[in-house]
Amino acid sequence: MHGAYMLREMAVSAIRTSKLSKDYGVGRGLFELDLEVGSQEVFGYLGPNGAGKTTTIRLLMGMIRPTGGAAYVFGLDCRRDSVAVKRRVGYLPGEMPQFGSLRGKEVVAYLGGMRGGTDPKVVRSIAERFDLDLNRRFREYSSGNKRKLGLLLAFMHRPDLLILDEPTSGLDPLNQQEFYELLREARAAGATVFLSSHVLSEVEQICDTVGILRAGKLVRVARLQELRDAGETSLEEIFLSYYSETDHHQKALPE
Amino acid sequence: MTAIRLGFRLGRWGLLGFSVLAFASSFIQAVAFYQIAGHSPAQRAAFGQSMAQLASQLTFILAPPSGLDTVGGYVEWRSFGGLAILFGVWALVSGSGAARGDEERGLVEAVLATGLTRSRWLASRVTGYALASFVAALASGLALVAGAAGGGESVSLRPVIEISVALAALGLSCYALTLLIAQLTGARIATAAAGVVLLILFLINRLSQTFTWLASWRWLSPFHYYELNQPLAPGGAFDVRATLTMLGIALVAAAAAGAVFESRDLGAPFVRWPSRHRPAGYEPSGAPLWRIPVVRALYERRAGLSMWAAGLAAVSVLFVYLTKTVIQPLLSFPALSQFFGGFVGGQLYTSFLGYFWLSLAQLLFAGFAIAQVARWSAEDADGRLELILSTPRSRASVVVERAIALTLGAAIVAAVSGVAVAVAAHYQAMNVSGERLAEGTLLLVPFALVFAAAGAVLASWNPRAAVGLLGGLAFASYLVDELGPLFRWPTWVQDLSAFKLFGSPLSTGIDRSGLAIMVAIILVGFAVSILLMERRDIGA
Repeated sequence: MHGAYMLREMAVSAIRTSKLSKDYGVGRGLFELDLEVGSQEVFGYLGPNGAGKTTTIRLLMGMIRPTGGAAYVFGLDCRRDSVAVKRRVGYLPGEMPQFGSLRGKEVVAYLGGMRGGTDPKVVRSIAERFDLDLNRRFREYSSGNKRKLGLLLAFMHRPDLLILDEPTSGLDPLNQQEFYELLREARAAGATVFLSSHVLSEVEQICDTVGILRAGKLVRVARLQELRDAGETSLEEIFLSYYSETDHHQKALPE
Repeated sequence: MTAIRLGFRLGRWGLLGFSVLAFASSFIQAVAFYQIAGHSPAQRAAFGQSMAQLASQLTFILAPPSGLDTVGGYVEWRSFGGLAILFGVWALVSGSGAARGDEERGLVEAVLATGLTRSRWLASRVTGYALASFVAALASGLALVAGAAGGGESVSLRPVIEISVALAALGLSCYALTLLIAQLTGARIATAAAGVVLLILFLINRLSQTFTWLASWRWLSPFHYYELNQPLAPGGAFDVRATLTMLGIALVAAAAAGAVFESRDLGAPFVRWPSRHRPAGYEPSGAPLWRIPVVRALYERRAGLSMWAAGLAAVSVLFVYLTKTVIQPLLSFPALSQFFGGFVGGQLYTSFLGYFWLSLAQLLFAGFAIAQVARWSAEDADGRLELILSTPRSRASVVVERAIALTLGAAIVAAVSGVAVAVAAHYQAMNVSGERLAEGTLLLVPFALVFAAAGAVLASWNPRAAVGLLGGLAFASYLVDELGPLFRWPTWVQDLSAFKLFGSPLSTGIDRSGLAIMVAIILVGFAVSILLMERRDIGA
């Protein structure tokens, strides 16, 4: 029974979007995104500022309504079944919100209490690995520590899918390595990862597949191993080949 | 000059909002004067006398008036008296925002990085506020001119400018004091600390009318110097020395704030308390309260709730003492005692307590509801709501939990203040009906929820504009209650005011139809809020 369930789960894509669109007007937004991320895959989502990465992530999380198309996580509709979707997802937003004078341990307990099913041992393990002092108040945290707290909140319930918006932004190199290790462990435990990033070397190091977004449209999806096997140029050159000087100066999208 | 322009620009919404409020306040009072004061000298004299009697009961909040039989004297008392409080609040919010809010947002660091000195930055903010407060004060003065013109009279421009200068000087002195206190304290408590100081300065001045031992401290209060100016009333005058004193307070406080700002670290208070060393911890909080819906929301804001409860309890006790002080002399006249006894059915203290205390409690509970709505809007703007909604919770459940938490929070604050009133009344040997007191106190909860429900709709529709719109709505609601009976507006119009729906529960018991309308507004408001929340983009 368990084996059959696992096989069915493997057959369903972790993320699937069909003509997913969010039109902010004057050519800004996300347009007709068709994307499929397989189970246990680490998917890197690339694009310059304003390309639509955060818009995609927020559509997947049901935070914003699509103007067209649909998005599914493990076969569940991201809008209609958003509660069921979020039960299986760990989310790191692009920017951590303010929790003022709450201590780190209170923020974890607050959001952990809302979510339920959080294992204090997992929390302790992640906090120790990042050397994140949960006794300190949120407003005393540096931007790096706020990021670490965000990662802890995303990983603490051992989700099936991690959706991470620029996860290493603000992390020092040591903690970046710790994060990569955490990611490998999560994947080995069966989790799927969808992350956006600007750091191409990072994506090359940790991702199986990359998707390149340009002005709200997905222009390329490629498996990194296939690129390497085919002897294609580096990810950086592939990425840059999609951007002319004019594109680079395009106005930022409301992400 | 660029810095002054920036300072002026940062406060433009405050300038616009308070100018509109100040204009509306004076214009409405001027128009109301011609509606209710009569036209013959005898009618005006009778009106002036009745208003003077009312004024004698309101000295805890408004200065003793003069010339109430003239439009100038009446507007000076009803409008410019209240505007002193309003400008104090504006100065508090604007001053703490300029001193610490902009610093928290990183704006001050960015500005100082351009090469501007700290003193010049602070001076530009003071100058910007000085200009803004004078414009808003002048708007109020010009409203009097316009209102008087509508009544076929003319008001000289000179006293109008004089009262505007005095009001702006009061606002400026409160602003500079706020700047100074905000420099000394941590950013988190700057507004509260400055608010407490300004409230004390206000109360020292106002309560010195009742408690004479306070009179020797009155010189400390800028509100005292403001009240020495009565240029609009016949026989009154603009007190140059008092106005210069207010400007002197502003100058000294701003200079001291500048000196403190120069010598502290950005983001840190000037006065640092030694912090207790706390070993690093890696465990989540084990408090079980975090796992219980609604309770966790109350537990999270336990500090704020405690402050609201303690503050309201203190104000309640003060008002019990004030009621006793005001009523006691009246009862020494047997005829008056008999008259009041027949008038309010023997419940003399209960009725007067209802008038004094519940009137203020309503305003404070409206403020409590607006503060909660401001928090909901902030949760949306800073991404906290997004993180909450990333847990397996529906949007509807978030709105419902907010509503229940606010209900319980308001009930706690109301219960604490009600008990404080009962205990203080007992010790003052005042005969207050316990049943009526309990009913009146608990009615404050649906009253607050009416504003919360309206705020929930606004926060779901447009969180960024919600607080401003709700503040305007509360002000309009208050005006309808104040002016409806004066202008004999239809009952259905007066019923639009939450203050009218609240009624006078201590004197006449609970108005059941008013309560039913309040409950209907609450249910509809939160239901609409859920619908809007389901349809909108979070953070947009």
